[in-house]
Amino acid sequence: MTITIGLPSKGRMKEDSSAILARAGFSVVAVGNDRSYRGRVEGRDDIEIAFLSASEISREIANGTVDFGVTGEDLVREGLAEADARVEFCARLGFGHADVVVAVPEIWLDVDTMADLGDVAADFRARHGRRLTIATKYWRLTQQFFSGNHGIQLYRIVESLGATEGAPASGSADIIVDITSTGSTLVANHLKILSDGVILKSEACLVRARKPEHEGNPVVAEIIDAVRGAL
Amino acid sequence: MPLINLPAFAPDLVADLEARGTERVDTPVIQPAEPFLDMAGEDLRRRIFMTESETGKSLCLRPEFTIPVCLRHIETATGTPRRYAYLGEVFRQRREGSNEFYQAGIEDLGEPDVARADARAVGDAIAVLTNRLPGVSLSVVLGDQSVFEAVVAACGLPAGWQKRLVHAFGNQTQLQRLMDTLSNPAPSGIFGPEVERLAILGKLDDEATLIAHIDATMEATGYSTNASRSPADIARRLREKMELASTRLDARTLALLREFLALELSLADAPRALAAFAEKAGLSLGEALARFESRVAALREAGVDPSAVIYRAAFGRPLDYYTGLVFEITPERDPLVLAGGGRFDRLLTLLGARERIPAVGFSLWLDRIASVKEAAA
Repeated sequence: MTITIGLPSKGRMKEDSSAILARAGFSVVAVGNDRSYRGRVEGRDDIEIAFLSASEISREIANGTVDFGVTGEDLVREGLAEADARVEFCARLGFGHADVVVAVPEIWLDVDTMADLGDVAADFRARHGRRLTIATKYWRLTQQFFSGNHGIQLYRIVESLGATEGAPASGSADIIVDITSTGSTLVANHLKILSDGVILKSEACLVRARKPEHEGNPVVAEIIDAVRGAL
Repeated sequence: MPLINLPAFAPDLVADLEARGTERVDTPVIQPAEPFLDMAGEDLRRRIFMTESETGKSLCLRPEFTIPVCLRHIETATGTPRRYAYLGEVFRQRREGSNEFYQAGIEDLGEPDVARADARAVGDAIAVLTNRLPGVSLSVVLGDQSVFEAVVAACGLPAGWQKRLVHAFGNQTQLQRLMDTLSNPAPSGIFGPEVERLAILGKLDDEATLIAHIDATMEATGYSTNASRSPADIARRLREKMELASTRLDARTLALLREFLALELSLADAPRALAAFAEKAGLSLGEALARFESRVAALREAGVDPSAVIYRAAFGRPLDYYTGLVFEITPERDPLVLAGGGRFDRLLTLLGARERIPAVGFSLWLDRIASVKEAAA
């Protein structure tokens, strides 16, 4: 059987993941021209490369169309329910660092922890006639963190697919859950991260779909070992 | 619409509900999703079936009846008191069991005699179940959030903590964790660097200065026009938090709360046990205890034997519109909930009713009743 690896189709993520694979001894080349979405590994007929958009990779791993993928842990955990049962995080690759964080307006001087936020959320409706709103594209991570880890139920999510940091200032939401790598965009928008508000420290990972046929497959084991060895 | 899997006893059940002075109502299966998410929180999203209208309005398949029945009551603007009965299909994403099943129940809106209405809800639920399941022994568990609220208030805890504890009531893990945190000798409040800077500048010393500072910062950062929390809101809570930072839940209060939450006994003995607890602890539970007692008396009048009901002090629902009574009925020695109910005095105003409407109700799980009936046959 051929093993398929899904890689990001463009940008820094594409270059960095190809570089790691090359160090691991798998030299990735595009099939046909440079823009092609199919690739192969030099000298290996048993490995195929599929170039996919970052957000598609977690979905393709989940439904098993690719065996491995290189993508951000945040996208996998957001995209899949019970991610750990369905995929294996084989290696953390040391690039694509981004934290998923809870950030509130800097001027909320009384709010520095999730417990503070819980207090504010609890009587938000009584004071403001509506629930506390959170702008985010991370529905699942937000729900798990707020309800599961901190027992905060009374809030509403406002979907935000871009420029999430601007939501509190524009009035479209009260607080945000978003990714940040340096925190500078948050600071520029007068937002601060809660002291216990880091939901996930994400980076690019080599992720394997948990498929029964991987059991005892030497190529699967070889890829994992080689990538781990290249770090 | 043909009703699939409707238990054969459904017509008898409806007749039974209607015989209890109720008016049968129906509500559309497709409901606006907003009220459900607003009342129960975002977590509900994973457990209901949602869709969107062509215009982008969030819709869902009816996950329960209480909110639709209350909304219908508000819309039709009929006066109170009213007693509504329903029977119909509800839709929820469940790990086990079917995703669509039938529920029936009664919502009792606007009855000013709270004890009587509570007792009637419990009594009706028991009677209706007994009529469907002759010969099956049932176990009834009852809780009351207002007693916990009274205990917390009588302990003299700071208002902010009372709110936190009451909010966590009904969620055991959350409540335990909270009590541990509040009694932990580690600093209970964390303040950011900006607060420390303001403290050095002396801007925290009086509320007016603090409000002015927050207001000026909001103006300067262009945040004020859309700010949901006003400078006064933030200043007030910051000062509350500072007052609490050096306080912690003392060992005696913690022990009292634990002792209270561990109470589980026959409802017939509960008023005396609560009074004894209050006396021993030196707490005055006054009103709450009186209301509790009058409910027990009302239950007796409604033909419910309180010695056959278990009172569990820690039993509640962690939703902010449940305010007092909660109860559940299961077959004896079986955790399967056949009926669940409670008082939700805050729900109708949250849904937009102009005046406060006290409300109590219960719902029955028809698929579970059918399975118990089958097993007993």
